[in-house]
Amino acid sequence: MSKGLVRAKGGIVENIDHKLNSKPENMQKVSHNSVKISVENVSKIYQVADAEDVPVLKDVNIDIRNNEFVSLVGRSGCGKTTLLNILAGLVPPSSGIVRIDGTTVTGPGDGKGMVFQQHALFPWLTTIENVAFGCKSKGMRKADRTEIAMDLVKLVGLDGYQNHYPRELSGGMQQRVAIARALALDPEILLMDEPFGALDEMTRLEMQDELLRIWEVRKKTVVFVTHSLTEALVLSDRIFLMGRNPGGIRREFSVPFSRPRHRSSVEFLEMYEDIWAGL
Amino acid sequence: MNTQENSSKLNDTALGLIGVIALFAIWEIVSYTGIISQEIFPSPSQAVTATLTTMPLSEIGGHVWASLTRVFWGFLIGGSLGIIVGVASGWYAWVGVLTRPLIELTRPIPPLAWIPMAIIWLGLGEPSKIFVISLGAFFPVVTSAYKGMISVDPVLLRAAQTMGLKGWRILFQVALPASLPDLATGIRIGWGLSFGMLVAAELVAANEGMGFMIMHARELGQVGIIIFGIVLIGVVNLVTDYAIGVVIRRQIGKWHTY
Amino acid sequence: MNALFSLSTTTKSRLVGAVFIIFLLIAWEVAVDLKWLKIYKFPPPSKCWEAFVELFTSGFPIEQTVDIHIGWTLWRIVQGYVLGCLLAVPLGVVIGSYSLLDKLTAPIITFGRSVAALSLLPLVIFWFGTGEAPKIAIIAYGTFWAMIAHTIAGVKFVDPLLIRAARTLEADQKFIFLHVVIPAALPRIFVGARVALGVAFMVIVGAEMIGTIQGLGALINEARNFYRADITLIGMALIGLLGLGISGVLQLLERILLPWNKGLEEVRR
Ligand SMILES: Nc1ncnc2c1ncn2[C@@H]1O[C@H](COP(=O)(O)OP(=O)(O)OP(=O)(O)O)[C@@H](O)[C@H]1O
Ligand SMILES: [Mg+2]
Repeated sequence: MSKGLVRAKGGIVENIDHKLNSKPENMQKVSHNSVKISVENVSKIYQVADAEDVPVLKDVNIDIRNNEFVSLVGRSGCGKTTLLNILAGLVPPSSGIVRIDGTTVTGPGDGKGMVFQQHALFPWLTTIENVAFGCKSKGMRKADRTEIAMDLVKLVGLDGYQNHYPRELSGGMQQRVAIARALALDPEILLMDEPFGALDEMTRLEMQDELLRIWEVRKKTVVFVTHSLTEALVLSDRIFLMGRNPGGIRREFSVPFSRPRHRSSVEFLEMYEDIWAGL
Repeated sequence: MNTQENSSKLNDTALGLIGVIALFAIWEIVSYTGIISQEIFPSPSQAVTATLTTMPLSEIGGHVWASLTRVFWGFLIGGSLGIIVGVASGWYAWVGVLTRPLIELTRPIPPLAWIPMAIIWLGLGEPSKIFVISLGAFFPVVTSAYKGMISVDPVLLRAAQTMGLKGWRILFQVALPASLPDLATGIRIGWGLSFGMLVAAELVAANEGMGFMIMHARELGQVGIIIFGIVLIGVVNLVTDYAIGVVIRRQIGKWHTY
Repeated sequence: MNALFSLSTTTKSRLVGAVFIIFLLIAWEVAVDLKWLKIYKFPPPSKCWEAFVELFTSGFPIEQTVDIHIGWTLWRIVQGYVLGCLLAVPLGVVIGSYSLLDKLTAPIITFGRSVAALSLLPLVIFWFGTGEAPKIAIIAYGTFWAMIAHTIAGVKFVDPLLIRAARTLEADQKFIFLHVVIPAALPRIFVGARVALGVAFMVIVGAEMIGTIQGLGALINEARNFYRADITLIGMALIGLLGLGISGVLQLLERILLPWNKGLEEVRR
């Protein structure tokens, strides 16, 4: 599974070069037809001990196509993490269902990788052990899982840091480990909860490019949560704007630009302005 | 930079050593001036000679060994029970509901206060001593294991779930390692309390062990042996505690500041 | 039944816990009734209740009612504890203020703490006999080391930023010491006070097992001599309650004296 992998040299400079040299036309996705994830009338009400019920999501309906990159954007507390947890099968919806390839989601695992808002690395495992964790739990032999993990460590540009513990890594590096870990089982669906939220602007831009590169290489359906409209515009095929009280999808935008996208191009800025104006 | 750090550490150790030597020297000198009668408070050298002339080294070693095996078994029993109960009550809500109130109600009773009851239940022999020693370990360990379990970051459990782990495998591969730092603290405290209980139990009734050694010396009025024994107990406690600290640091020090 | 369902989960789980304990007590009572457990080894709750009444009315040993026991235990703790604190805090402040002194004494203090206070019992009995003095002496000993270690740490680890801030406000050495270092060290000193109290409480029970019939430690030990397990159990319960009460008082004191220090993590034992 790691065979057809493009080995990145890890340097961010190379990535930018790659971006500048590559031509935009061959970047458009093709297989946008079949529905991968369908969210049907999903509502979520949290029941809290000794307090009133909290309605978080109300009647959410989304269809996400195969290999599509979609973003969920919205203010803090509008239920983005909750929706992602429901997609992951970590939290059951109060009503409605989520189907993946037509089958109802009943629990986590099964080709749904997740990158958490708080990276959620296991502090007692090294970089490579964290990345190999899922493979190990599947009973994969040590040599095999180490090879897969090492490829991913290189892919996210952490070659040389494979034996470091999470506390010995910077925030950005920890996020990369978390991404590599989510990729280790080669999931068809990648759920990412503000993965770049804690990063500085520079690292954030580099990571966005890197994520797109991985996505292009590995052909995945990505649901990406972010606060940043710019980030969503740079990355996604479609953007869902979420609102609060009760949480739900308010608007949906298709992003027509081919990748890589230039944050300062006129069309880009116009679209940004349009979306803002509609809020 | 590193060498500087090392040398300042070395300096600290040297100063500490000087302090200890100074303390013994003052004690020795005061003792010779006769301000306090040597019959009552002998000097360190006298305490050592008094002990070594009345007791062969093998006998002292025998007492140390007897105490160590006792505290080892008591600690092992109490500590393992503490881990099992603490982990189970953190992992299964219903176990927690049943055991937490019982433990919280009995915890304020110092383990020492169990000695009379232990004697009533188990007699004056070895079992009652092991029992009270195990109580010393049980309470800190059970409390810290429980605390460790319930404070595991839920997001770690979720992360494991998204990678397909279920049930016991999450317990053993995620929840247990995550609660190790808390558990380590409890084990360290538990060892200290077990050791205190050991001394108490041996003072009350025993015919070997370091506690017996000093109690027996009191009956014979050999104050030198008493003082030697007290220092010996302190040293053994210090060394074993240090050893446990080293083991813990080796296990979790790599990823957690302990 | 409906009312039960509307209760919150925490109340429910407490209720279940309480019911479980009551169930255990009843099972105990029944087991003794059926002679599965020997009554003189496992006195059932009913027998313990009788012992409780006996302790309050005629006392055990005869005439020594429960208030006498509690009174003596408290009095001994107070004397030893105060003595230990009075010696430890000033000394700790001095040692903590001079890094040279701190380095000279560090191993001694580590060692002093690891000498179990009870192991001093034979020595203090040898010195002072079996009266009050040895008991108070070992309580003071236990208190002393716990207190001094925390006082030194408190003074030593005052946030240097606070001291620098005070310097920029042109405070002199003495003022900084009195108004910055000491207040900043107080939370740690209070932690020491709580730890020391735990030690003192532990030690007193052991110390009272020798040479007296008054005090809670003496009570449970005397009861054991007479095979009165019921009285021993009641005595243990009283010891636990007294311990809870004292640490409650100390917490209250801390809240009154250090109202700004609400967030300090609870450190037990
Ligand atoms: N386990 C829970 N129990 C009760 N309420 C919850 C729980 N989890 C989330 N909530 C509530 O649901 C709402 C949405 O939370 P959620 O974490 O999904 O928001 P979010 O959009 O991810 O916010 P952010 O951008 O800050 O991460 C919040 O009001 C939160 O308080
Ligand atoms: Mg969130």
